[in-house]
Amino acid sequence: MKLPMLIAALSVAASSLFADPFFQSNDRIAIIGNTVVERSRLYGHVETALQVAAGPEAQNLVFRNLGWSADSVFGDSRSYFGPPQEGRDRLDTNLGEIKPTIVFLVYGTGAAMSVNQGWTLENGADAESANGLDSSKALFAEGYQALVDRVKAAAGNDLRTLVFVAPPPLENLGEPLPDQAENNQRLAAFRDVIRERSEKNGGIFVDLFAALGGDDFNGEVATHPLTNNGVHYTEAGYRVIARELVKGLGYDESIVSDPDEGALTELRNQVVEKNRLFFNRWRPANETYLFLFRAHEQGQNAKEIPMFDPMIEKEEAKIAQLRKQVLAGGTAE
Amino acid sequence: MKHFLSLASVCLGLAASTQAQNGLRDIPDTNPQAQLDAFTPIEGASINLFAFEPAVANPVHMNWDKQGRLWVVSSPLYPQIRPGEPETDKIVILEDEDGDGVAEKHTVFADDLHIPTAILPVDGGAYVANSIEVLFLRDTDGDDIADAREVVLSGFGTEDTHHLVHTFKMGPEGMVWLNQSIYIHTHLETPYGIRRLLGGGMWHFRPETQRAEVFMKGLVNPWGHAFDDWGQSFMTDGAGSNGINFVFPRSVFASSPKAARILPGLNPGQPKHCGLEVLNGRHLPDELQGVLAAPDFRGSRINLFKLSDSGSAYISSQIDDLVSSKHRAFRPIDIKMGPDGALYVADWYNPIIQHGEVDFRDPRRDHKHGRIWRITFDGRELVKFPDLPSLSDEALVAELNSPEGLTRQLATVELRSRDKEKLGPALVKATAPKGVDPDLFELRRIWAQQALNENDFPNIAELVGSKNHKARAGALRALYYNAATYPEAFEIASSAVGDPHPQVRLWAVSVLAQLSNPDTVKTALRALEGVEVDEFLDFALWSICREHANRWEGQTESGNPFDTIPQLLFAARAVNKPVGIPVILDALKAGQLKTDEEVAEVTDFISKVGSADDLNAIFEYALAEGTPVAHQHRVLIDLGNAGKLRKLKPSGDTNRISRFLESDNNTIFSSAAVLGGQWDIPSAQKILEAAFLGLESNPKRAKAASDGLISLGKTSGPFFDKIIRDKEASFQARSNAAVGRIKISPIHGASLSIAVLNASPDGKDPHGIYDAILSNKTASDSFAEVLKKTKLKKPIALTGIQKASSAATRPENVITGLQTAGDIQPMKMALSPEEMEAMMQLVADEGDPHHGEEIYRRAQLQCLVCHAIGGAGGVIGPDLVSIGSSAPVDYLVDSLLQPSVKIKEGYHTTLVTLKNGDAVAGAIAREDANEIVIRDAAGNENRIPKSEVASNNISPVSLMPPGLTASLREDEFVDLVRFLSELGKEGDFKTPSNRYIRNWQFLQPHDRIRDAIGHYGNAIFAEDLETYAWMPALARVAGDIPLTEAPDLDGRRNDRHAAARTFIEVADAGEIRIKVSGEFKDLALFHGEKEVPLPDDAIETEITLVVKSPGKQKLTLAGLKNFGLDGVSVELLDDASVTQLVELKDF
Repeated sequence: MKLPMLIAALSVAASSLFADPFFQSNDRIAIIGNTVVERSRLYGHVETALQVAAGPEAQNLVFRNLGWSADSVFGDSRSYFGPPQEGRDRLDTNLGEIKPTIVFLVYGTGAAMSVNQGWTLENGADAESANGLDSSKALFAEGYQALVDRVKAAAGNDLRTLVFVAPPPLENLGEPLPDQAENNQRLAAFRDVIRERSEKNGGIFVDLFAALGGDDFNGEVATHPLTNNGVHYTEAGYRVIARELVKGLGYDESIVSDPDEGALTELRNQVVEKNRLFFNRWRPANETYLFLFRAHEQGQNAKEIPMFDPMIEKEEAKIAQLRKQVLAGGTAE
Repeated sequence: MKHFLSLASVCLGLAASTQAQNGLRDIPDTNPQAQLDAFTPIEGASINLFAFEPAVANPVHMNWDKQGRLWVVSSPLYPQIRPGEPETDKIVILEDEDGDGVAEKHTVFADDLHIPTAILPVDGGAYVANSIEVLFLRDTDGDDIADAREVVLSGFGTEDTHHLVHTFKMGPEGMVWLNQSIYIHTHLETPYGIRRLLGGGMWHFRPETQRAEVFMKGLVNPWGHAFDDWGQSFMTDGAGSNGINFVFPRSVFASSPKAARILPGLNPGQPKHCGLEVLNGRHLPDELQGVLAAPDFRGSRINLFKLSDSGSAYISSQIDDLVSSKHRAFRPIDIKMGPDGALYVADWYNPIIQHGEVDFRDPRRDHKHGRIWRITFDGRELVKFPDLPSLSDEALVAELNSPEGLTRQLATVELRSRDKEKLGPALVKATAPKGVDPDLFELRRIWAQQALNENDFPNIAELVGSKNHKARAGALRALYYNAATYPEAFEIASSAVGDPHPQVRLWAVSVLAQLSNPDTVKTALRALEGVEVDEFLDFALWSICREHANRWEGQTESGNPFDTIPQLLFAARAVNKPVGIPVILDALKAGQLKTDEEVAEVTDFISKVGSADDLNAIFEYALAEGTPVAHQHRVLIDLGNAGKLRKLKPSGDTNRISRFLESDNNTIFSSAAVLGGQWDIPSAQKILEAAFLGLESNPKRAKAASDGLISLGKTSGPFFDKIIRDKEASFQARSNAAVGRIKISPIHGASLSIAVLNASPDGKDPHGIYDAILSNKTASDSFAEVLKKTKLKKPIALTGIQKASSAATRPENVITGLQTAGDIQPMKMALSPEEMEAMMQLVADEGDPHHGEEIYRRAQLQCLVCHAIGGAGGVIGPDLVSIGSSAPVDYLVDSLLQPSVKIKEGYHTTLVTLKNGDAVAGAIAREDANEIVIRDAAGNENRIPKSEVASNNISPVSLMPPGLTASLREDEFVDLVRFLSELGKEGDFKTPSNRYIRNWQFLQPHDRIRDAIGHYGNAIFAEDLETYAWMPALARVAGDIPLTEAPDLDGRRNDRHAAARTFIEVADAGEIRIKVSGEFKDLALFHGEKEVPLPDDAIETEITLVVKSPGKQKLTLAGLKNFGLDGVSVELLDDASVTQLVELKDF
């Protein structure tokens, strides 16, 4: 039975390593990034761990996962029919609606894996992104800073903290999957860029790359892999990510039990369901017809999309309730 | 004025009670028996119901597992999940345990999916497309219910739910193939880096290595993919209309965003399809072996196509349908050969297809029903499907050469689950069974090894040396995927670029494109030599020149890096950059590039990328002694293009153009006139003014002079003003001058144009004054101002409203201005629900589709100009071949009245606004770094320099002008709608698959006929007389050309003759067969100038024509109209070697 131990740990969690606790009541937290963020919505471990780690002092935390597969700091994946600029505009709109107090940025994996190939379609930057590590790093730094500036402007006055997350490392799973040694070295270099951006912008830096052993990577085939292809984390992998993120934010990681059960499992399932509804809210299918150039044909159906909002709110209320139960050490009756 | 809208008031009464049921009475009978009764299968075939609801509802895609069970994904959630709705779409496993052709068992493998669009049960689980993700679902405890779920790929777009990643297939080489459609923008993070595919295309993915790569791009809805026996890929498209498409690595097809070049499909104008299967196996009759089956879900039928080799690609000919149905909810969207050798068809079952045009929540959408049909052939034995998992390695390997394609495919799937170490030797030991081509056997062995993620490169290399070109091409394709890991690959490809067969060359070039060798382009370009280079091979070469540009461009600074100058010209044109110019220009001067085609390529190339000095060099080539007129013309045209697109002119003395301005040759003068203006040649003014005034004697020259005067700009203003104000001048001259004035000074010109418009004799504007006004914002704004204080005659104002309403800019101020100035009440273009209900009733009860077809063909409605039916007709709008069976009647009515309300995907207009306020609207034909080419409603291509583009948007306005049907009486409108609603349905208006000649030309009246007919008879119509004018004409849907519609050619006394001609292309000398049907009594047929006798009393005859010299053959029909001459059809009975020339359809 893990729960009592978990609750015991919570008293420690409330007093985090930082002078002030990282999370505060009514925080709205947006997580932007690429595949590792997008897929985390399916499992809920990261958000659940952060919800619980924040402790009873910080109530009503609202998380919004804005991850998009293979996104770049230029917003490549977020654009539909236009250039990456359209993707950045979309991000502005999303952040403008969420008005986050905290934004997590998780970028770098795609750029690190792009050896002799471009990682952005941004006009003029395509070639630069394909042109050797130094060039790619410089472009990444430039794009990252522009992203930070943009997030600050779009998020509005409530924004309190930016969290600069260095992505978790790649793994070697052995033949016939490719050797990720070079990519990991590159990712370490991109991690340094992220840390530097964090320092420059007064952010909080969380080094998942180091925390999950990226610096100690010696090219050996993983014995207990956390990814299913060397790049993408499995559900078990996300538990580790969640733990290290909690730790990186100064909370006690021991609250992240493995596996979860009881109310904690229910909380996580609730998080996943909320994420599902939110996904269909912010990235609905058929956008071409709902909002874009065929809206004159089927735009009447766009009225359904805001109908998700009250449903998501309901889910948030359930999350708050379950979270209370978890923090109170009870199980869901 | 009585137009049909007045009927709305007449029918209001009877409509009110049924309003709530708008259209719902159209719902077909859902009983499976009703569908069974409505099928017309191909001769010898029977159809039975394999599975239906509730076991399957709205099946989307299906595939067999290695136990012979059918896995089906179905999506009642389509087209859009409702807020709060759970994800409940399903995967169902259907089993026919007792082999009676009916699935008595169904198991729900998964029921928590979100619009799944593809299923592939392989590798111990199933890949399933689940909106943004590809999942791999597994059952770990043996209850056939998925309990493990893994995201394999993520980042597929969801911009349109019928475009989602789809059409999964396991290739013979053991990779997973997957497609996506036009609106999808995909971003995958793979272990090898990021892969993006914006727009339609096809991917391949190898599970073992997790490598995902783009194979080809484009196609609107590539919902079908099949491999032929030799592993070549063919695709169908659910919205493009090219039938079967032959695809290869890096090939790009219509609708791929920012494509600089696209390839055509094999059946232009054919129906649209979902799914594709190669028919094979012992159960099917011989004549269907190797035939491609493609479900036409709009037309509720399954089309069949036969392929034959042609150059590097194929010719595809449509044959009789496999099955067609009168049941409107029969929507065949997938077809697969089954384990018993029968055919299985997934019927999505829905009266409504698609969700772009019809509301997501339209109550007529079916979310409950779904059918899997099974087609067998009477008197032919079914096939016994082997129990693959229980076979020994040796026996399994033997199944790789099964006569049944499905068995081979599933044996490959089983193979992948076996121990490689044991299976390898079994594969090596296997020998070709009797009756199997040894080269095909080798290719299959190579595939089997690849399915185990192994490459036997030496064996592949050996097969590249086969005598059979299909084996050579197949072997190169097998080499293609991992060519970069095989050091000998370059050598193999280098020798194969010189292969006698163009398709082998195509694959050799594709292999080279995978390699890092610095000489890939130099080597590839050798494929240009010694064979006829068709469009596909040309494309592959063009593509590698661009992709590997950094390997050769630098070398051009020190000369020609390639073997020949034409190769350099090819490569330089491919990259469209100023490389190799000195060498090319020297060759031009030295006469080494001298064919018309080569010279045109040089001048086009220089005009796009050359410097002022380079332009001067081609100018001097034109001026040089002995340069042929055709070459001079090319130079002048392209100098004009350089001026227009790049504001660049020759560095030398431009006054030398005056030599061409003095030319008697109209073509030379015309292109020189433009340059005289562009280059501001003072002496040009007077010459151009004189030519402008010579409108009556030489309209072509006058038009060119007008363009030249416009280019001269302000100095032409007073001249134009004088003509505009000259009431004695002809309407055309004044119109031309007004257009010129508007182009030079939009404000002044727009104001002067009112007087000219009011002078229109018939209320029409044939010379484009409105177009000139509407194409520039300054002009249209000031025109709108002028309209406020002036009057326009009603007819010309109406013409203006029609043009302004269909202009991509749709300027409201001009439209209201025209209404005020012309004293016109706004036209009501929409029907109320009650009126619509009444209209639908009327169409159903009283519409006469035959009369409707006559109306459709009327010149004034212009339907034929933009729309084709079964490939015959215009290409501006969608092909209407099966519009009736796919679109509800209310949709048709709306589309006629308000064309902009629903616009078919792929037919949206792009509106490009230039920095000077000019607006150009149309479809993007292609674009590159420097220019964008827009094809307008008339089919003209407009080249626009990107540097001048201010904005570029998708316009919400249809290219189809509203009000086209306003002149119709109500009964005519009803007949027209009825005709459209019958198109594609079983009956008189389903385009037959027979190869009728559909593109004809009618002879226009000519002075000579009255005299000559008496002396020479009908033979005069078969003569190639230069002064004959022939106008395009199209066959009816049924395939006959109505000679009654041809202009009367007055003969002696009261005789009225008619003549129609067409051309066919014949590949080889010999005999060809045609079938002619019609009334022969007053009819004559000519092949070339030779009469072919027709039997007097028959109405149908088969004729053999002897072709001595292959190529273009002329067929002429001539007849006397006085005694009820009607339609005549001419059908080509031979295979693909005879084709009709479609360029006749240009209007």
